[in-house]
Amino acid sequence: MQGGVAPFVVALVVAILLQRFNLAGLAIAAALATVAYFLNGLTLEPLTVTRKVILLGLAAAAAGFLADALLKPSRAIAVGLPLIGAACAAWAFWTVLAQKPVVECVRLGGGIALYAGSMVAMFGALRAQPVRAGAAGLGLGLGTGIAAILGASATYGLYGIALAAGAGAFLLVQMVAGRTTAAGAAYTFPAALAGALLGAGAMLLAELAWYALATLLLVPAAAFLPMPQKQPIWLQSIVVSLYTFAAAAVPWVLAWRYAGASGG
Amino acid sequence: MPKASTFAAGAAAILLPLSAVAAPESFTIDSFHSFPHFTVGHLGMSQLYGRFDKTSGKMTVDTAAKTGSVDIAIEAASVDTGDSERAGRPRTRDEHLRSPDFFNAQEFPRLTYKGKTARWTGDSPAEVVGELTLLGVTKPVTLKVEHWKCGPDPRTQGKRYMCGANATGSLKRSDFGMKFAIPGVGDEIHLLIQMEAIRD
Repeated sequence: MQGGVAPFVVALVVAILLQRFNLAGLAIAAALATVAYFLNGLTLEPLTVTRKVILLGLAAAAAGFLADALLKPSRAIAVGLPLIGAACAAWAFWTVLAQKPVVECVRLGGGIALYAGSMVAMFGALRAQPVRAGAAGLGLGLGTGIAAILGASATYGLYGIALAAGAGAFLLVQMVAGRTTAAGAAYTFPAALAGALLGAGAMLLAELAWYALATLLLVPAAAFLPMPQKQPIWLQSIVVSLYTFAAAAVPWVLAWRYAGASGG
Repeated sequence: MPKASTFAAGAAAILLPLSAVAAPESFTIDSFHSFPHFTVGHLGMSQLYGRFDKTSGKMTVDTAAKTGSVDIAIEAASVDTGDSERAGRPRTRDEHLRSPDFFNAQEFPRLTYKGKTARWTGDSPAEVVGELTLLGVTKPVTLKVEHWKCGPDPRTQGKRYMCGANATGSLKRSDFGMKFAIPGVGDEIHLLIQMEAIRD
């Protein structure tokens, strides 16, 4: 209910209302805000890693909206947003990283920043392809959420599933309407950044294996696979979603196998 | 003058030991014999017991002045509920307790409790009022001292002096932002603290 149904309903309402303004992508922010309300009550004190991640997800929606409005699709967006995403990752996890030895801090911090930057870059390449972007968000949310649960954090699992709910609402509106709606950075930036930071949090704060986390990058990559362009939107959505679900299953399997391999 | 100096020396001989007794004494928590335990309701069926395996800290006691203080640090990752074998599951309960769902041990590696004695019964502290910091949130927690004893450490033929105590208290974990799985996993936490400390 907290992680799936409520965020989906709120995200769906937002997507329907804002579709005409090409802002249905803000469904992601609506879903994140809803689950954060249920789990945390929207309080920011103390500013924990988890609260920073949600705050960054919401801020990314605003930044993406401004980027869509003020900047033409350009190298600035393609390069700038991934760099911002990497910097956001470093800030979000700094309080944890700073407690570790320098070498481990650099290794973990660098890896997380690279992961977040890569995820934002790959989603950014989908911003003009709303069906693919929607399916990628759906797959990333489910992939991250279930991997986080297997990695011992149900809280991060719920946030991941809420992300999937937001992306699912964005996709469903297109499927029912029979036409695409703009994704833009208002959708791709928060979806990619929140998804990446939630996965990184499940690794750093819980027990998700680093290689399971890395394979979540397969999800947006799968969204680039060929799809039936001339078929109805609903069919295109299902086909690409199946691609991304298949990619999302890779980290689930790895997380499960890691749990078994590392013992108790 | 000889009489005066004799009197002064005699007075000093009497008073110095008294002033030494009256001064606050500093103790170091014996980590091998000090464990904060807790109980929490599970599904409304039973009270599950757990403890933290690593605790350190200091305390001061001034029996004559009826004052004292305690400063304890508890390693969050040492939480132990007796479930550390995965046995085919993706994670154990103790791993789950260390995750952001509960103690978030990577981000908040230590719980701390700083308190002062508030009430004494004879020469024994009866109540400690203090502040517990958990998950970055600091809230008042009062401990009732149910047992208190000080004396020579029998393992050292009296060369070392120690104190031991048992205290209880309670808190609501939701007050500290730990809201996961309430009410299935209870909100009310009962504390049972067993502590021994060696005089410095």
